Formats: sequence, structure tokens, C-alpha cells
Amino acid sequence: MYSDLLHALPDVFAWTNFVAVVIGVIAGIVVGAMPGLSATMAISVLVPFTFGLEPLVALGLMAGIYNGAMYGGAIPAVLLRIPGTPAAVATTFDGYPMAQKGEGGFALQVAVVSSSIGGIASAFALMLLAPPLSKVTLLFGPSEVFWVAVFGLASIIFLLGGNPIKGLISACFGVFVSVIGSDPIYGNDRFTFGQLEMLDGINIVILLVGLYALPPVIDLLETPLKTGGVNSSKLGTEPIWKALPRMKYWKTWLRGSFLGIWIGILPGAGGSMAAFMSYNEARRTSKNPEKWGEGEPEGVAAAEVANNADTASALIPALTLGIPGTAVAAVMLGGLLVHGLQPGPMLFRDNPDIVFGFMWQFLFGAILLVLLGGSLATNSFARLLNLPRPLLGSVIIVLMLIGVYSIHGRMFDVYLMLGFGAIGWVMDRLKFPLPPVVLGLILGGFAEENLRLALRIGRGDPMVLFQNVTSLILVALTVAVVVGPTLKKRFIDSRKKA
Amino acid sequence: MPESRNSCLTRPETLTAIGIIVVAAGFLVPTFDLRAISALLPAAMLIGLIVLSVFLLLADQRKASAGEDAAPMTTSPKRVIGAFLMIVSYALACDFVGFYISTAVTIPLVAWTFGYRSPVGLLIATVIVVGTIWAIFDFGMSQDFPTGRLWGR
Repeated sequence: MYSDLLHALPDVFAWTNFVAVVIGVIAGIVVGAMPGLSATMAISVLVPFTFGLEPLVALGLMAGIYNGAMYGGAIPAVLLRIPGTPAAVATTFDGYPMAQKGEGGFALQVAVVSSSIGGIASAFALMLLAPPLSKVTLLFGPSEVFWVAVFGLASIIFLLGGNPIKGLISACFGVFVSVIGSDPIYGNDRFTFGQLEMLDGINIVILLVGLYALPPVIDLLETPLKTGGVNSSKLGTEPIWKALPRMKYWKTWLRGSFLGIWIGILPGAGGSMAAFMSYNEARRTSKNPEKWGEGEPEGVAAAEVANNADTASALIPALTLGIPGTAVAAVMLGGLLVHGLQPGPMLFRDNPDIVFGFMWQFLFGAILLVLLGGSLATNSFARLLNLPRPLLGSVIIVLMLIGVYSIHGRMFDVYLMLGFGAIGWVMDRLKFPLPPVVLGLILGGFAEENLRLALRIGRGDPMVLFQNVTSLILVALTVAVVVGPTLKKRFIDSRKKA
Repeated sequence: MPESRNSCLTRPETLTAIGIIVVAAGFLVPTFDLRAISALLPAAMLIGLIVLSVFLLLADQRKASAGEDAAPMTTSPKRVIGAFLMIVSYALACDFVGFYISTAVTIPLVAWTFGYRSPVGLLIATVIVVGTIWAIFDFGMSQDFPTGRLWGR
């Protein structure tokens, strides 16, 4: 089972693939360091540019960006108390007080080493857990695959927290978008309104760029952030090998890695939750919890190890079942689809070199973090915080247009992207979750095709969907995901009253 | 405490719910012309959107009647509308006037309008961005950009 993993290793060392990871990590740190920009947005903007690239080059860039951005978010979190990414909120608790005490450089070094350790642990989890899981899913037939899609959507909607009605609206919208175009079996036009450009359906990249890249650009222009500038020469950074002996956080790193990996695997949870849980656990078990919040380096380690440990592990359900654990994983699924790689059981059988190469790239990306985000680079990245936001916004607008236009070389896609962007902005402001839209688009067609196939096998009898144990287990899991949060809330409420 | 808006129907969530209901109902009409099996999923999703939006609307109106103010969508609507209009104008300009001219104008215009006022910085940034795009995409990857419908190509 793991021989394919070793077989894929030489491909990763091809110079183009390796350079892609390096560029990805650097770009990721830059993006993560910019408050208002996220890994999700960076990958959304990147995906259309990767059309002409070899799959491993494109995936290497994405893996690098994901790893880099998770650390990059710590830079403004430590220096300005502004988390560069949502997952870096917990890093501000102790990182910023450290910077105020003149230990900003050390805080960033703790962050980079912890991020790297979390990323390495996560990449190993992906390598060890995904292959056996993929073997199991190879046994699935159309009705099981249909239920997997339903389960995936349900878990993203109901475990994402917030308002389930809004989650359901998002998912229905995503699934509806997936049916636009020609009917896959009869070839009827559905909602194309005579537009030839829509016969093939809505390209996922157009949706991704619209939903994930346009709202942050509007945010950048709406409230230009006054960062106040960062004097990186006063960070007090020493070479990382000198700082390493001061970092004795093995227990925190181990605990944070496990938590991050576990939360990454759970659909709907994400880096923020992982970082908060890890921070709380580390503080709870600390010998001096009273110092936390006043500049305790272990707090930075706890948050950063966990928010990087959920990166690759979020791809375990994404690669094996097509169910992404986080928003970034959902966007990466879109990236895989662009390169003709259908996430799910067949991926490991049909494209082992690419999928296992991708896992190695995650591992190398995590290791490269220490080298590329070390002392010298951290100083340079800190200077990026001085870049003017309006200029950044205008450049991203241009990149969005180029990326979407280059998919098919037509302006129609750009207008479509702007429409999705407007919808995305409204959804973002009204707190409608965006991942169910993407997942709805990915899983909608998948679910419909398998439902229709299962019904054909069963000669139209819907009971065919409930005729084997796997289907019934998946139905039970779906019901549990739907009613679980409500039951849990009632249980907690009743205990509080008691 | 009464809701501070003039009409509780202008609350953002209520307006969104009404919008979804109208649009989904509009999309539902063409499903009657489809085969039953082809219409199954789209119709189910559209009906789902309508039903869920009714729930959303009722929940929001209940909040309004309880005196809960809806949070504004934006603190600076002019900037948001301006940003949207500039992006749409840029897309239209690329389509009708051509990519390079539109980009060379848009980058400094957007940055200037939204607060970056250094002429030298704007000039340098525009030259770097446009030059890099030309070198990578046009020269390196032979990517064709819109040349502009107004020029008849």
C-alpha cells in the first residue's frame, strides 16, 4: 500500500516541482502576513494560472502556499496584534505581549518552528491515513457514493457552527449551480438561457475566484488598514539555531499536533478551532498559567503548532472521499479538479504518482518553512506589512481578471465571476458560510450522477439506496451530524439549568 | 425597543431572503419543461431555497419585532459601491478598450481613489505590474488578452 508513496518520491525532486514548493512557501508567507488576505484567497487566485502547468508543479505551489500562509499569519499577529489569518487569532494572545517586551523576534522564531513541526506531523498523518482509507472507499457503489456526498454536505453545513439555515441555503445554492449546463445523462440544457458558454456548466474556478477573492479585495478597499509600519530592524532576531535550545515545548508540540490533525480531519472544523483548543489545553496543563496572556512563548507554540497541523490532515477526507475538512481544502479540491484529478476513491488508483507526490510536497513545504521563514526572511516579511493596501487591492483585481479570462479566453467568464463575487460579498457580510457553496458545486453533480445510476440499477425503486450496510451506516452518520449539534446544545442547556 | 429602521422590510437579511425567493421562483419556471428526472435535483434545490428563505425571513422579522437592530452590511457604503463599480468598469474597459490600456489606468486610479497618494509610487507600481504581466503572460506564455471590441478585433 505504501510502496506507491516511495515510488512517487523521485518525481518530487524534479527541479520544477521542488521550485514550485519553494515559491509556494514564500508566496504563502507573504499572503499570510498581509492582514485581509488568506490562503484560501491566494489559492483561489492562483488556480487559474496553473492550468498550463504540470499537476505536481501546480499542487506543489498550493501545498507551499497553504503551509506558508499558516505561519505568515503569525507575523502581524505578533508584531501588530492583527492576525494575518483567522487561524492566527490565538497567536496574538502571547505573541504581541512578547513583541512589546522586545522579544518579537523570538516569538516569530517559536512560531516558525512550531508551524513547521505541526505541518510535518500533519503531512505524516496524511501519508499514513489516506492510503488505507482510500482502499476502503474503493468498495463503494453508486448508492454509497451518493450517501457519502450527502454526508459530506451535511457535515459541512451542520458542523461548521453558526446558523444551519444559512448553511443549508449556501449548500442548496452550490448544488443548484452544479446543475447548470447540459444534463449529464439526457443532454437537456438546464438554466443556460441560450448561452453557449454555459453548456459545459459553471467552471469551479470562476466560482472560487468570485466567492473567495473578490470579497477580501472589497474589504481592502473599504477600510484601508493603518498598520503604522513595522521597524523590522528592531525585532531583535537572533539566528534560529541559537534560539532553538530555548524552545522546550515538546509536550505542547505533541499535544497541539494531535489536536490539529484531529480537527483537520473533522469536516467543518478549521485552523482557528485547532489553535484555540491547543492554546487552552496547553494553558490548562501549564505549571504557571497565570503568566499566559502576558508574553508566554509556549502560548505562541501551542497556537501555531495546531493551526499548521490541520493543513494536510484536512485533505485526508478531501482526497479519499471528496469531503474537504476546511475552506482551503475545498478550494484545493477545486484545484485538483482543474487538473483532471477527481477526488475520491479512484484518485489513488488512477493517479498514485501525483497524489502521493502531493503528500511529499506537503512534507517538504513544512520543512522548508524553517529555512525560508527563519531569522533573515522573517525580517523581510515583516517589512511587507508596510505595503499600501489600496495598491495591493488594485493589483489583485488585475490578477483576478487575468486568471479567470485565461480559463477559456473569454470575457463572459469574467462577468460571471463578478456576479459570483457580488453574491459572495453579500454572503460574507451576512455570515452565510461559503464552503457549502463550493462543496455543493463539487458534490452536486457527483451526487446526482450516482443517485440516477443507483435508481437505474434499482429500476426506479428508491429503496435501492438503503439496501446495504454501508449505505445505512452513512445514513446514520448523516442523521447524527444533523441532529447531533441540537442534542448536544440541549444537553448542555439542561445541565446548566440543573 | 422598536427597530430603528423606517421599515423592518429593509433589514439586510429580510431583503436577501426576499431576493432569494423571487430569483429561485423565477428559476423554478423552466424546470417544468424538463424531464422529471432531469428536473428532480434543480427543482428540489430551488424549492429548498424558497422554503429556507421563508424561514430566514421569519427569523429575521421575529428579531425585528423583538427590537433587535440588524447590523449594517458596511460602515462605508460609498467606498464599497465605488469599489464594485471600479471593478465592473475595469472588466468592461478590458472588453471594449483593451487589456493593457485599461490595466495601466485602473491600477493607479483604484489605488489613488482609495487612499494611496504617492505619484511616484503609483507610477513605479503600475510599470512593474504591467511590465511583469507582459513579460510572464504575453511574452513568456503567449497568453492573449482582450484587445478591445471598439478597435474592431
